Amino acid sequence: MDLNKLRETAAGIVSRDDVKYLIGWRRGTFGYRAAPYFVEDAAGVEELIFSPLCISNLAAYLTLVEKLPVPRGQEPDQRKVALLVKGCDSRAVNQLLVEKGIKRDQLVVVGLPCPGMVDWKLLAEKYPETEAPVEISWKGDDFLLLYNGQEIVVPRAEALAEKCRLCRHPNPLISDVTVGEPVQPWAPAEDSGVAEVEAKSTPERWAYWEEQFSKCIRCYSCRNACPLCYCEDCILDRLDPTWVNRAVNFSENTAFHLARAFHLAGRCIECGECERVCPAGIPLGKLNRKLAHTVREEYGFEPGLDPEAEPFQASYKPEDPEEFIL
Amino acid sequence: MSEQFEPNIVAFLCNWCSYAGADLAGTSRVQYPANIKIIRVMCSGRVNPLFVVNALQQGADGVLISGCHPGDCHYMEGNFYARRRLKLLKELLEFIGVDPRRFNMSWVSASEGHKWKEVVEKAVEDARAAGPFDQFRRRQIGW
Repeated sequence: MDLNKLRETAAGIVSRDDVKYLIGWRRGTFGYRAAPYFVEDAAGVEELIFSPLCISNLAAYLTLVEKLPVPRGQEPDQRKVALLVKGCDSRAVNQLLVEKGIKRDQLVVVGLPCPGMVDWKLLAEKYPETEAPVEISWKGDDFLLLYNGQEIVVPRAEALAEKCRLCRHPNPLISDVTVGEPVQPWAPAEDSGVAEVEAKSTPERWAYWEEQFSKCIRCYSCRNACPLCYCEDCILDRLDPTWVNRAVNFSENTAFHLARAFHLAGRCIECGECERVCPAGIPLGKLNRKLAHTVREEYGFEPGLDPEAEPFQASYKPEDPEEFIL
Repeated sequence: MSEQFEPNIVAFLCNWCSYAGADLAGTSRVQYPANIKIIRVMCSGRVNPLFVVNALQQGADGVLISGCHPGDCHYMEGNFYARRRLKLLKELLEFIGVDPRRFNMSWVSASEGHKWKEVVEKAVEDARAAGPFDQFRRRQIGW
């Protein structure tokens, strides 16, 4: 990945009059962190990075921006927002366009073909986090780590994030500008996490999820970090009617997670943000991937591939499967 | 002889077909198990999956959802949406370890009083085989 080319392109975009800012990544303050970065002028692009640490999905910021009422006599800011997207992020953008959550003409999409991201937690097992930021880059298929002054080649299998192992679309599916050469998609690994749970008996599955859901502290991070959870009035927050109580106990936690997973059925683009941000380490990705798998296998639908597609749960086909109906 | 477990089943019936079908079963004096608590909704497409989750949280041992046959919906397409949605819910519930026998869905038209009887018998039998479902019950919060 040629960072100079990315910075050049970014500088060109942010200096346009019709662009408000560009959302990208910059180096975090320590260890393996990369922080979201809002570039407002051409001078700011120097800090922009794209490395195997840029795992977060920035598409969430498109809908997180607070829309304050415009004072009387003033025009609303109609300038565009530019966004750096990897393959998975571009699917989130597509899905947002399908749902009319954002407008295409208010968006400049900079596509970055993604050779796969590292899961820093896997990396930290062998190379603990340092106080100074660590540099990582791609080297062939593997990762090149600049750690305490020495160069270490980390094999791909050792540090690749789970969502990237399962990735089917590493190249951006929507972009105005693409920086870098398209990567060759790799064969997605078999989803061992979901298969493992499916192989259990019904009571064992219940016991497994009981243990997982009991850990939940109901911080709502999974919902907030999700690029596709952007309802202004979320049913999980609503008090009248209270579908899910605020109480932190197993029953309410389960209802919460069922509702969250269900609301992403046929919409989840498997960017893995929910699982990544979860402070309790609940494997939320398994719930999402299970539903995504059902939607893909039984309905032949994959969200986020086509900005013109019909939303899955708001459409139907007369020949949909109904073998489960009495 | 020990007493047989009587499951508690919540049924969501659409106003135009299944509710009328259950009514027909009643007026035709068809005998069917009394474990069903019917909630009338205007269309099976009205059934929010959270209704099902909530029923299970409040102590239902099983849930039955019934609507018009595909193509017969009073609102043209409501039951098609319900079919997609509830299929996913069924998969999800099964995945987290809820016995699949606790969740049934059926198409019963207004003239199928006898089919309604069979559906209820099947749902009750299924829920009975699955046993009481207390693990998911909402905890009462005493102040």
